[in-house]
Amino acid sequence: MNPLKVEKVVKQYGDKTAVNGISFEVSEGEIYGLLGANGAGKTTTMRMVLGLIYPDDGQILYHGKAYSNDQLRNLGYLPEERGLYQKVRVSDQLIYLAQLRGMSKKDADASLKRWLERFEVPEYYNKKVEELSKGNQQKIQFIAGVIHSPKIVILDEAFSGLDPVNVELLKTTVKELRDSGTSILFSTHRMEHVEELCRNITILHRSNVVLKGNIKEIKKQFPKERVILSTENEVKGLDRIGGVTNVIRHEYGYELGIANEAVGGHILRLAMEQSAITRFEIKEPTLNEIFIKTVGGDSHE
Amino acid sequence: MNSFWTVVGFTVRNKLKGKAFLITTIIIALIMSTGINLPYIFSQFGSGDKVTNIGYIESQQAELAPGTATGDQLKAFFEAQENPSLKLLPYEDKGSAAENEMQLKQAITDKDIKGYLDFGKMTESGFPEMTYKSEKLMEFEMTSSLQGALQMIRQGTILQDAGLTEEQMALLNAPIDIDTVQISATEGAGNIGEGKSPEEQAVNMGLIYFIIILLFMAVMISGQMIASEITAEKSSRVMEILITSVSPLKQMFGKIFGMFVVVVLQIAIYVVVIIANISMPHNNKALGDLNIDLSQIDSALLAYSVLFFLTGFFLFATLFAAVGSLVSRTEDLGQAVMPITILSLAGFYISIFSIGSPDSMLVKVSSFIPFFSPFVMMLRLGLADPPVWQVLTSIGILLVFIYAAVWVSAKIYRTGVLMYGKRPSWKELRKAMKAYKV
Repeated sequence: MNPLKVEKVVKQYGDKTAVNGISFEVSEGEIYGLLGANGAGKTTTMRMVLGLIYPDDGQILYHGKAYSNDQLRNLGYLPEERGLYQKVRVSDQLIYLAQLRGMSKKDADASLKRWLERFEVPEYYNKKVEELSKGNQQKIQFIAGVIHSPKIVILDEAFSGLDPVNVELLKTTVKELRDSGTSILFSTHRMEHVEELCRNITILHRSNVVLKGNIKEIKKQFPKERVILSTENEVKGLDRIGGVTNVIRHEYGYELGIANEAVGGHILRLAMEQSAITRFEIKEPTLNEIFIKTVGGDSHE
Repeated sequence: MNSFWTVVGFTVRNKLKGKAFLITTIIIALIMSTGINLPYIFSQFGSGDKVTNIGYIESQQAELAPGTATGDQLKAFFEAQENPSLKLLPYEDKGSAAENEMQLKQAITDKDIKGYLDFGKMTESGFPEMTYKSEKLMEFEMTSSLQGALQMIRQGTILQDAGLTEEQMALLNAPIDIDTVQISATEGAGNIGEGKSPEEQAVNMGLIYFIIILLFMAVMISGQMIASEITAEKSSRVMEILITSVSPLKQMFGKIFGMFVVVVLQIAIYVVVIIANISMPHNNKALGDLNIDLSQIDSALLAYSVLFFLTGFFLFATLFAAVGSLVSRTEDLGQAVMPITILSLAGFYISIFSIGSPDSMLVKVSSFIPFFSPFVMMLRLGLADPPVWQVLTSIGILLVFIYAAVWVSAKIYRTGVLMYGKRPSWKELRKAMKAYKV
């Protein structure tokens, strides 16, 4: 029985359909990616999972059970827009939030200290949130979502506004959570994070599910149509090979569009005749490309 | 229930820790202490009320004789008084006007006199021209007391000229004496007739004023605080975490109850400050002089005060919470709470302005209207004598209304906290309630 199961969930605001029949399951120790342009229905879906709003149709099951107030303790939430009391000490408000989720004050305190230690910022314990930088507020916000060791964690745009070092730190932490058996529902605009973290994804577009499934399988559905070629000397006549759709010259070499994988061989042969080759790769499509292809470049931002 | 108290605890702790709370409490306590001690402070200054010396020349010259006579008359008049504020000092005539002036100015420099009167020609008023010369500007008090004195002197002279006897003169002056005695008599008269004695009435009136103002302040201050905290939680999106941790109802009432604890605490501090100030020896005497005895407070009235205070507070607080939950940005809050503010203002003003006529129809009717009754019924209880059934009916209506307000507020809150963007209209709110299935 999966910790989180969303079945054909529909939500309407008046005449507007916000989410139209989304279904997915998140198993234990899995990070599930929820992708989509702004306004596609991600936040509404997450809010329904959190029990903030009720679906008009379909159902959401937590370990096979319907939503109830008891589920609150099993849920952790990192909202897209950061929300903390600016003028309250980190310790006060995080212990408060943990207590609201049923932890004892002592456990909450210990857990908070452990997390601050984990993020290498134990000195923030007594600081007010407004004194912290945006990135550090983000860390505190993250702790607020996971301090009570929830079974299901919902991360909405978890890594936005962080510097690369902190993104790595948080990413490692999310992976640790996953490995410890937490089910994570994850939304972001950064496709490289999804590729790194998620096993399964759902792409929403204008309230509808347009693509769903295992990332590897999704990628197989999209043909490999990029070749990266780096050579010592110039290679001529690449654009005359049949099946080559376009040639872009980069500093590092060439990027070619191909009609099918077999064309790659012709390119390699032609290049070998003219120069030594430092790099040759037939790339599988990136999630970014798939995303833009499915939802259309216009609505992506 | 557990998380309810967690919310209460957090609300109270945060308010008490905040600098704003500490500073306002201290400032208001200071203002109160100053206010209570003001009469004493004034009396301290007042007793130092020195006699002002005014000089004049006892001229030997014939044409200035009326001036000298007037000066002497004034001197005699003020000397005859019990607590004269002025004293006239005659100075010898040195012969010439310039030398006299020199002499008087020297006296001012020596601080023997504050100023002096310069007499001129005789006028129709029966007195010579007079100029008061001093180093200070705007000596209105001085001139008016001189004027008063001269009036009295002239009256006396004319009456004497009219050939009235001493008895007749005394008779003419007599009513004034009786007047003053009457004024002082009202306060010392003790119990007159039945019902509340004047002292009790005074004490009750004071208590009513106090309770009404207290309720109004508590409603306004804490109401605003509740609404703005909820809006702040909403706009900072802490709400999204809170609402996924604890049910909205517990959250809302935790906040209201927490704020109530804070307000009660604040009031308790003020009451302690007031009592401490009043029971200081010098103020105790002042109160005694005014015949105010705090032990004369009616205990039933006190009980009703507490009851109406509680009901009034919770009625307004729940509404403020509901409105706070509808607004996404603190900037819009002032406008949104306006209707509630006006309701509480109306109740407050009806009772304050009706304090002289606690039996009017307006008061009777509005003492049954939920938003006004906490203020207005208090007024009737303290100053009129409303039948018990009316008081109970009023409380009953109030309780039913609070129940309804809580029900509606809870629904609005549950819906409102998730609605961002512009303030929703009633229609949008109803639609959202339906959509959220609350």
